[in-house]
Amino acid sequence: MAADTTSIAPVARLQWLSRFPRGLTILVTAMAVLSPLSLILYQSFLTAPFFEANKSAGLDAYRFVFDDSDFWHAFLNSGVLAIGMTLIAVPLGAMLAFVMERTDLPGKRFLEPIILVPSFVSPMVLSFGYVVAAGPVGFYSVWSQDLFGAAPWGIYSIPAMAVIAGLTHVPNVYVYASAALKSLGSDVEEAARIAGASPFRVAVTVSLPLIAPALLFAAVLVFFLGFELFGLPLVLGDPEGHLVLSTYLYKLTNKLGTPSYHLMAAVAICIVAVTFPLVLLQRHLLQNARRYATIKGKAGRMKELPLGRWKWAAMALLLAWMFLAVVVPVSGITLRAFVTNWGIGVTLVDAFTLDNFRAVFEEPTHTRAIINTILIGTIGGALAVACYTAIGFATHRRNDGWSRFIDYLVLIPRAIPGLLAGLAFLWLFLFLPPLQPLRATLFSMWLAYTVVWLAYGMRLISTSMFQVSTELEEAARTIGATRGRISREITLPLIRHGLLGSWLLVFLIFEREYSTGVYLLAPGNEVIGAQLVSLWQGGAIDLVAALSLINIVLVGIGLALALRFGVRLRD
Amino acid sequence: MTELTVDDLHLRYGDTPILNGVALTLERGQVVSLLGPSGSGKTTLLRAVAGLESPYQGTIRIGNAAVFDGARGLDVPAERRNLGLVFQSYALWPHKTIFDNVGYGLRLRKVSAADIKTQVTRVLEQLSLGHLGERYPHQLSGGQQQRVALARALVYNPPVILLDEPLSNLDAKLREEARAWLRELIVRLQLSALCVTHDQGEAMAMSDRILLLNNGRIEQQGTPLEMYSDPKTLFAADFMGSNNQLKGEVAEVRDGVAMLGGDGWKLAGVTRPGTTAGKPGVAMIRVERVRVAASAGDNRIAAKLITSMYIGDRFEHLFELANSRIRAYGESALNAGAAYFVELPRDAIWVFPTA
Amino acid sequence: MQARWIGLAAALCAGAALAQAVPAGYPADYAQTIAAAKKEGKVVIYSALDTKAAQPLIKDFNALYPDIKVEYNDMNSTELYNRYIAEFASGQGGADVMWSSAMDLQVKLVDEGKAMPYASPEASKLPSWAVYKGEAWGTTYEPAVFIYNKRLVTGDEIPQDHAAFAKLIDSKADKYKGKVTTYDIEKSGVGFMFVVQDTKYYPGIKDLEKGFGKSSYRVYASTGNMLEKVSSGEHLLGYNVLGSYALVRAKKDPSLGVVLPKDFTLVLSRVMFIGKQAKNPNAAKVWTDYILSVRGQKMIGGPVELFAVRTDVDAEYTAATLNKELGSNVKPIPVSSEIVTYLDPKKRLDFLNAWKAEVTAGAAGK
Repeated sequence: MAADTTSIAPVARLQWLSRFPRGLTILVTAMAVLSPLSLILYQSFLTAPFFEANKSAGLDAYRFVFDDSDFWHAFLNSGVLAIGMTLIAVPLGAMLAFVMERTDLPGKRFLEPIILVPSFVSPMVLSFGYVVAAGPVGFYSVWSQDLFGAAPWGIYSIPAMAVIAGLTHVPNVYVYASAALKSLGSDVEEAARIAGASPFRVAVTVSLPLIAPALLFAAVLVFFLGFELFGLPLVLGDPEGHLVLSTYLYKLTNKLGTPSYHLMAAVAICIVAVTFPLVLLQRHLLQNARRYATIKGKAGRMKELPLGRWKWAAMALLLAWMFLAVVVPVSGITLRAFVTNWGIGVTLVDAFTLDNFRAVFEEPTHTRAIINTILIGTIGGALAVACYTAIGFATHRRNDGWSRFIDYLVLIPRAIPGLLAGLAFLWLFLFLPPLQPLRATLFSMWLAYTVVWLAYGMRLISTSMFQVSTELEEAARTIGATRGRISREITLPLIRHGLLGSWLLVFLIFEREYSTGVYLLAPGNEVIGAQLVSLWQGGAIDLVAALSLINIVLVGIGLALALRFGVRLRD
Repeated sequence: MTELTVDDLHLRYGDTPILNGVALTLERGQVVSLLGPSGSGKTTLLRAVAGLESPYQGTIRIGNAAVFDGARGLDVPAERRNLGLVFQSYALWPHKTIFDNVGYGLRLRKVSAADIKTQVTRVLEQLSLGHLGERYPHQLSGGQQQRVALARALVYNPPVILLDEPLSNLDAKLREEARAWLRELIVRLQLSALCVTHDQGEAMAMSDRILLLNNGRIEQQGTPLEMYSDPKTLFAADFMGSNNQLKGEVAEVRDGVAMLGGDGWKLAGVTRPGTTAGKPGVAMIRVERVRVAASAGDNRIAAKLITSMYIGDRFEHLFELANSRIRAYGESALNAGAAYFVELPRDAIWVFPTA
Repeated sequence: MQARWIGLAAALCAGAALAQAVPAGYPADYAQTIAAAKKEGKVVIYSALDTKAAQPLIKDFNALYPDIKVEYNDMNSTELYNRYIAEFASGQGGADVMWSSAMDLQVKLVDEGKAMPYASPEASKLPSWAVYKGEAWGTTYEPAVFIYNKRLVTGDEIPQDHAAFAKLIDSKADKYKGKVTTYDIEKSGVGFMFVVQDTKYYPGIKDLEKGFGKSSYRVYASTGNMLEKVSSGEHLLGYNVLGSYALVRAKKDPSLGVVLPKDFTLVLSRVMFIGKQAKNPNAAKVWTDYILSVRGQKMIGGPVELFAVRTDVDAEYTAATLNKELGSNVKPIPVSSEIVTYLDPKKRLDFLNAWKAEVTAGAAGK
């Protein structure tokens, strides 16, 4: 009896999710998504900030941007970066997925969570880690200099950034490739082995071609992420003055002495013009991939492919990648957090200090940032998942126009760079009277986060929802349950674990987010991610290092919990 | 010549034993079927032979060469065992044409393009697929896909073909045709084949020998005829054919004849190993051997007819007696509710001990 | 001296219970201002000086006025400006006091009528260049300096004036390739302001710009980054670095050296004004007067480690000490409408392009 009540109770608490009136859900979602976008669009056709009296309508902003050679450089750099990192991340991610998913590589269970680490650590933190680890006088560079007389690498050029971005985006490819491999019946691979193909042959001629749609999807995703890259070029592009679109946009805050919102909005619209088609293409590919996946044969249990002599090659590749993408930046940031200064001729032991952390904890702004970051991840994450679920129920198994509308609607925020979305939300909170009192509260930050990550969250939720077989819902329907009751009493209880998993993933994403909060940052709603950007710009490196490490620890705790609860770290 | 020898094979998934010391041999030109209920380990055994599962004890030899030897730690990977395997799902590669599907094994064996063309064309012809080479798997019917899967396994002349439930993905009518066609092909091409099936009809029709597996052990093996007409255990008897069972107590065992009695009935039948007087036993008889009689007599039991079902080529009668049910076939419908006698001929009854 | 302060503090504590004592020399009706400020109970400050550095000021102010809570918000100077104009436009100006190192932006805001006029009783003690229209006041005296890595740049090589700096990076271009750093004048308003002032006092500025090009200089948006990179040895020389921060770090960082250029040293003064829409105008006045007072200036020149703009205070870092060291070569940037010239987008772009052209020419070896 007692067991009964405990298992029912959480469901009862979640029931309001499915009771939310559909029309209202759609309206709120549409407002949350469309108002910032339309504000940006409107701003891009003005000659001054929209709130200034001296504004007038016109195409000046676009004219300025298109006449600015920096814009074209940035555009070109973004393209090169996006292509470069796609070329690196896709093959590497695909091979990694094959090795992890299909072969008898030792220690896989232990390695998998580490593979995903780069996707959960803020790119700001990673990039900063690279600077202190592998920069011209980074820890590793200096050690290499001492040991071998040279440190033959650089991290500030565009190709170097493409390599770093490529390596750190391997997990994005990995999750899609391994999910596709999971749903790909093992029998087609076994058939190839029986026919006499070696593991490598199997991967190249059968497995990877068969998951080509998923790989293509991942390639578009990575390309698209490359186009939006902000933290990495902000930190690594700075020293040699390499601009990409998002850092160009950020630079416009200051280039003319006063903020050029109209120019920034115009650049944002240019970015959206590139990314939105990519988002649509992605959606199209995803549907294709799903259809393709149904060809799969019997997905029975399978004996892992014995790698034999390939084992060490695969292991070496994996460890090398892991060293470059995880160990180097994380160890760099960790070291930097515990020293006062570093570089050539500095003995780290002498420079050891805890002052950096003391400085963080002495400062109410920073302690508040830490607490806020935890709050926005836990409570904010839960609320976000609740919102996503409500939207999910508004569209679940309904094939009317409104569902399609929501389908496209949730994709829009994906295409807007977080930096700009944050700025648009700042405007909304400043100029919409009902929102004004909430501006400096964590709510503003939460709303922006929730909207920016809408597409991601919706995919998590709908994956869970679609795992509930239609028949289970139809069965309830035929015995007379209304749609609302089915949602409440059949679907919701069945996706409970999916929701828990989504919550943890959203927690991780919210912990790592940084660009959305840059403009929204106000006394009272500080979060670590945005605080890092601001501190980095201000050059408070000691604090950046300490806060970064704290951020990594938070993410680490989230990851550990996720693993403890058996959450699959992917959708 | 023996193409395949399996000896004392043990395999487990984690702590669950799946195969507990299985042995079998397959001679050239023979078809051996692995028959058994789901969970009996038959598919696992086939996959172990293919190299897709890892046993921990025993040996597997193909021809004269050992491919697995638990004691020596030898485990030749699947791709170097040179076997042909037809998957239950067919596992055709959806991104390759039929021609490329079939030719893949030859390409891996570094056969020249011209030779690949002739050999693939020949095998496709043999399987009446000649005109389908350029198509993709999803453009073919289920029966055609099954033949492509077979062609793919045959094309490089493996010494042994492994068939995993080859017919189960076809619909009922097609299955019967394919069964005959497959048997004909095996005979015509002199193939040595190991075939997994859960359908006893399929096993009997296609094989020279049947191995009946139960809980990871071989329950009984023999020709289809032996398996059907001379089952050694209750499990074997029950698994083959449609049967009636009557539980009772063994009164007497003498000269290979056992007397079994129950609540108001008494039957004489052929004893099976282990049947002992004074112990509980079970009488087992194939449904087709039960006759309906009008009067009492030896090995006849009074029974009330519950219903007669028309199943196309005959009627199936369902009788109630004491607390059991007896099924029998007949030419015409009988009167439901009326009392009859069912005759269970003495030589058609096997009396098994019950545990 | 000490005794006087203790006595004053005691008097203040005693007085606080009834009414705050009016500081010496202030008009008598100042008591009403203090009373109103206490009623407001808090003052909201937007500042480009980070909270940690400002902490001594806040603590001291609270010792003086325990009933006025200081809500201190630090952000970078551009953000400060953005936020202020947006909030101003939305009619909910959040800041009572604006305090920023972006002098030009502050002056622009005053010119646009976004500041509240206030006749501070302390204003007369400030140098005249530091008072603008009776609405904005320069509060600090922070030099622009050169920095260098002490381990890798030594002896005669350390540049002592602008010409030496230009010559060094031109003549030893190999050693200094990629090792010279300064503000990114496109990203940093302060950096831009410094180089505009440089053109006034340093005729050879073009040589320097070419030198930057030749040595592939690296640019950053903030002083902190330059300090970090020069200290680590990734870069060797820094130009136009905010001296207040550099001197503080140099005190505890053995790798960092600081030079006050001998030919001329630019001085920046953080500008403070009271917001036109201030919700706590009286508290804002009390705060501003405190900052400009001897007591506030002593904090600025002492534990805050900026330089006090008032010459009549006795502290570690003051305008007086700097003036004594460099004489007439100290060139404070006046708080005046002159400095907003380059906030005109067209003029600014022209300046930026001219700068870039010289750098590019230098890089090409011309």
